[in-house]
Amino acid sequence: MKVSRKNIIGLSLIVFSILSIYLLNDEGPTRILVNLLAFAGIYAISAIGLNIHFGWTGLINFGHAAFMGVGAYTTILLIPHAAGREGSINEDGLPLFIAIIIGLLASAIFGLIIGLPAIRLRGDYLAIVTIASSEIFRLVVRDQEDLTGGVYGVISFSDVFQQIRPKFLEELALRLDVSVGQLWVASFSWIMVILLIFVLKRLQNSPWGRALRAVREDEDAVRALGKNAVWLKLQSFMLGASIAGLSGILLAFNYGTLQVEMFVPLLTFYIWAIMILGGVGSISGPIFGSILFWAFISETDQLASIIFENADGQQIAGVRFMLVGVLIIALMILRPSGIMGKKEELLLDVK
Amino acid sequence: MLDQLGNGLLLGIIISVASVALSLLYGVTRIVNFAHGEIIALGAIMASFFSNLPTSRYIFFENTSPLGLSFELSLVLSVIICGIFGAGLELLVFRPLRKNNFGNIAVLVITIGISIFLRHLYLIFASSKPQDYPLDLQRRQQYFLFDLTPRDAKIIVYGILIMIIFGLFISFTSIGKQMRAVRDSNELANITGINSDKIILYTWILSSMLAGTAGIFQGMINDVRWNMGFLILLLVFAGTVLGGIGTSFGAMIGGFIIGIVVQVSVALPFMEGHSEAKNAIALAIMILILLIRPQGIFGRKERIS
Repeated sequence: MKVSRKNIIGLSLIVFSILSIYLLNDEGPTRILVNLLAFAGIYAISAIGLNIHFGWTGLINFGHAAFMGVGAYTTILLIPHAAGREGSINEDGLPLFIAIIIGLLASAIFGLIIGLPAIRLRGDYLAIVTIASSEIFRLVVRDQEDLTGGVYGVISFSDVFQQIRPKFLEELALRLDVSVGQLWVASFSWIMVILLIFVLKRLQNSPWGRALRAVREDEDAVRALGKNAVWLKLQSFMLGASIAGLSGILLAFNYGTLQVEMFVPLLTFYIWAIMILGGVGSISGPIFGSILFWAFISETDQLASIIFENADGQQIAGVRFMLVGVLIIALMILRPSGIMGKKEELLLDVK
Repeated sequence: MLDQLGNGLLLGIIISVASVALSLLYGVTRIVNFAHGEIIALGAIMASFFSNLPTSRYIFFENTSPLGLSFELSLVLSVIICGIFGAGLELLVFRPLRKNNFGNIAVLVITIGISIFLRHLYLIFASSKPQDYPLDLQRRQQYFLFDLTPRDAKIIVYGILIMIIFGLFISFTSIGKQMRAVRDSNELANITGINSDKIILYTWILSSMLAGTAGIFQGMINDVRWNMGFLILLLVFAGTVLGGIGTSFGAMIGGFIIGIVVQVSVALPFMEGHSEAKNAIALAIMILILLIRPQGIFGRKERIS
């Protein structure tokens, strides 16, 4: 990574936000930091997936939460778990890695199913179709209680994931006074982020990556050159969806429970905010976007509880979401290319 | 199934009014307004704020208490506030964006930001507890085929009346004609001397007032919640798309069909015990329509791929 002005700005913002956590929290700042890093890593993975859809290919995907959900539900239901009202325990299951791979495939196939009909539609119509699909997914999962646990969700599945954690983490967690489970989720997520970025950097400059960006710029030109633009879009949709699936799986392991309300449309818009903040089309952008985003909202919670003394927990959380809305508006107006994005690669002004 | 038809009619009217508003706005300004749901909720919440008694158990934010005005007055006031709010959105946000040539996608993302901001502002202001209007309970009666309370019947009559007035307004008044002209082509309308900025402002006001009305109706048959706008928004989209986005008459019929389908589907045999998933059917219909006939039932052919 060459050191440019953008990198320096991004890095110093991250250092500043991590410092602010240590300054603003007297009790257990390390614990808060690990929690933040776990969420930031998971959301960064998801934003990387979304960036392939929107940043590279120009597909407006408002159903990202469903891609995360499909991956999470498929994997978690294949490993030992307890689900539903009675919490009926299902002890036999596939090995974790096979389950994860099936989960990622399921996300990709779901992406294909949604994409196959929808991909021909113009931008704003694609937005409506994808958000509707994601709501259909959520409503169906909620409804099929026998299979998915419905509103009662799925629990007791994290052991399989925690069994594979390296032993030295336990010592480290003890020393830092943080939860070892979350430390493992955080480290695993960030390993995945780095791996993904490494792979995608290669992919971006491959013929395939260039063809994708050509689709974004001028679909007709791609067609004229004999490339199948629809198939390219579908491939991008599937790749991004399975990356989202991975982040969904990790999100479930981080919470230790799988609830359908985790995959509301608001989650999609969180990921959008992170992607725009980091920089649309930039590969390493989601890292910066994600850490800054989580530092931003974890600090607003504190601030909000000071300003609004009488408010209940949900109202405090409301302040945070409200600021996410402001963040999206402000970014789109003032700096639509985010921290790392390139202005000339931005698709946002297409009519 | 027949008992559900009355409820379907009721929901149909509400979605219909909201869809007409969304469709009008899209037609004239080309904005896919994800904040439409929040304008719907604004109407409902404002009416609750005006009409509930200060001593009621409903919690508004610390220093503001409900006002306890009569319900009719509150209704009028909140519709007016919605209109002012729509004008504010246009003047403060969307007109500057238009002047700076922001693209459709950027504006779309901004409406999402506005929607998230407003929804949680309502949460802070009105708390997460569902609220009711101070209206007395009414017994259901038989109207033709439908089981409805007198208030429900009134909502249906007023809803139809509003749409007739809207139809007459858009067809015969000068401003209505200018709106249709701007919808068909902004440049051509400008050439003929129409001040399109003014017409777009009027469109925002009209659309927001209709949305607020739909919200108050929804609050009257259900309850008022901070997130009610987003819950109904996708159904409104479904109605708009089904009828043909950008067409007023289409949106009326589309919204109506969606409302009836959602409520009647509860009574279908395979939906037994799955009533929570009823909205999924409406959304599936919308996706199907977009695939088979993207311009909707009444829309004109237009390239949308």
